[in-house]
Amino acid sequence: MGLISMPDSILYWKGCMSRLRTKSIADSTMELFRRMGVEFATLGEEEGCCGSVLLRTGQPEAAKKAAESVIGKISSSGFKEVVTACPGCFRTMSSEYPLIAGQIPFKVRHISQFLIERSSLLKDRFRRMDVKACYHDPCHLGRHMGVYEEPRELIRMVPGVELVEMKDNRSKALCCGSGGGVRSAYPELSREVAKSVIGGELPGGVKLLVTACPFCNYNFKDACSGQIRVMDLPELLISAWRG
Amino acid sequence: MGSDDWLALKRDEFKRWMEDERRRTGLSRAVAAYTSAKANALSRLPELEEMRREVRKIKERSIRQMDELVKIAMESVREVKGEAYLARDAEEAREIVSELTGSGKLVVKSKSLTGDEVGINEALEERGNRVYETDLGEFIIQLRKEKPTHIINPSIHVPREEVAKTFSELLGRPVGPEITSLVGIARDYLREKFCNADVGITGANVVSAKTGTIFIVENEGNARFVSNAPPKHICLTGIEKIVPNLSDAFKLLQVLPPYATGVFMSAYVSMITGPSKTADIEKTIVYGAHGPKELHLVLLDNGRRRMADDDAFREALYCIRCGGCMYECPVYRVIGGSFGNNYFGGIGLIWSAFTTGEEKVAAAVDACTKCGRCKEVCPLEIDTPRMVERLKQRLVKKGFVQPKHGEIMASINEKGNPFGEDERADRPKG
Repeated sequence: MGLISMPDSILYWKGCMSRLRTKSIADSTMELFRRMGVEFATLGEEEGCCGSVLLRTGQPEAAKKAAESVIGKISSSGFKEVVTACPGCFRTMSSEYPLIAGQIPFKVRHISQFLIERSSLLKDRFRRMDVKACYHDPCHLGRHMGVYEEPRELIRMVPGVELVEMKDNRSKALCCGSGGGVRSAYPELSREVAKSVIGGELPGGVKLLVTACPFCNYNFKDACSGQIRVMDLPELLISAWRG
Repeated sequence: MGSDDWLALKRDEFKRWMEDERRRTGLSRAVAAYTSAKANALSRLPELEEMRREVRKIKERSIRQMDELVKIAMESVREVKGEAYLARDAEEAREIVSELTGSGKLVVKSKSLTGDEVGINEALEERGNRVYETDLGEFIIQLRKEKPTHIINPSIHVPREEVAKTFSELLGRPVGPEITSLVGIARDYLREKFCNADVGITGANVVSAKTGTIFIVENEGNARFVSNAPPKHICLTGIEKIVPNLSDAFKLLQVLPPYATGVFMSAYVSMITGPSKTADIEKTIVYGAHGPKELHLVLLDNGRRRMADDDAFREALYCIRCGGCMYECPVYRVIGGSFGNNYFGGIGLIWSAFTTGEEKVAAAVDACTKCGRCKEVCPLEIDTPRMVERLKQRLVKKGFVQPKHGEIMASINEKGNPFGEDERADRPKG
């Protein structure tokens, strides 16, 4: 798709994880847009790095450069609205870019906020999925950005899904263990944290863990795939889509 | 940094913690007990919401005028016939306390993080003193020659069976693992030490500058003995513990226990204003009635003023040391006492960096996910994750870069992603 100027469409920002590791999250998100009739574009292989990882690992100057480059790319393409399914990109662009690189000439939202606004397009589109599920609040999306209810409302739109809460949820939710550069520095520690969250936090009978962050998704799958099914929000919505 | 020694040691320590089922069990039992006790206490103390905000303001004010409060507190202590000292660093603190103690003495101690920070036990033992920790947890740790795991409960990682082994060695006879009898053994063993000690060393939870009053909060009653039975009481505490007056101190005291251990109030709060005295015979004041004849307050800087002067880290001085954030930290729950150095958890990274050196926590900093849960549960809402990010930036400038993080940075720079993948391999740029 490349750098096509499409000011009327939204820009779907994949983020490095969904672009290169948890690709099914990006594929599901784009498929969701298509089925909903949402006009969108991506920056394709030109997307680059939002700078979140650099901020977390002590490289503010490099993060500033990344931010300026991203702001340049998006604004020169004329997009006014950016939607991403990565809470790290979401937080970095919307709350940290203004601090390190100045005001941004576009709006950034998490996929859950965007979808809830268009929930009429999602109404009655899902088939029944009889499963007891838990939602895991990603730190970047929840505590750092205050988005707690939108993902839950979307999950509840799927008939048959019994959404129950972890012992600690919303602003008190436990980190999956992969944030802040920990997963790359101490992968075993990240896995142990994820296991302890799954081991100590889930009510009985939960068979599905819904994430809303590619990093959480990747870490939980890696550490706990034997114990529980892990799906990211767009993946769940696509798999429940009727037809 | 030419070598990766700073990393290797910490990696091993993390690994030992993760693989030690015994410690993990001890820790998770403690976490469960703490979280339910705290939830119960907080639900029954709705007034704490306002109180903790007031305490935040008290701390902000106190730290702003820290130098002034140090002066006032020292004058006040002297006015009530105590002695006061300001130690610039750990070495000075060790010298002052050693000088006051002398040699060949029997010393009893109540738990003091500040004491650990300056290595007071080692310094006193070097001079031929016998030093006994009297807080049960610290006593266990001291006998086992281990490091504390938590600032409030130093031995949470040691289950009862292990305590029984340690006490069996101490007494030279087998001891069963019943918790009540283990507590009884410590009580009997230490009672005689309290009564015969030459010097008692405590920390302080808060100091009221105007009155020169030292507050010590505890549950066991050992700090009362330590500060009361020996003829000489030395209190070693950080300069950030000083608040302007008694009302401020009382507010802080109400917030501390529910967040520290999930109780409304700790069993004992000792308020000490000067040495023991009597004027019962002819109205003539004599010092050292039933309590100590001498009271020495040693105030420690050791990086605290540097912290206060630093906009990026000043907030760390507001910490009232309830230790709640540690129990609530998903990483601490897995690697416990290895997550930090002399202080633990996210806030402990900052404290360790300023009091014992940034390099001591260079590797542990990368175990913090900056998830922000510590800030959420902190009664003073201290923004620890932000400070950890800043500490990380400083460490990177000094060359403390995780090899993997170095690769990621290079990859982002060259390829625009952290995975070293060529996304635009066969396309021209732009």
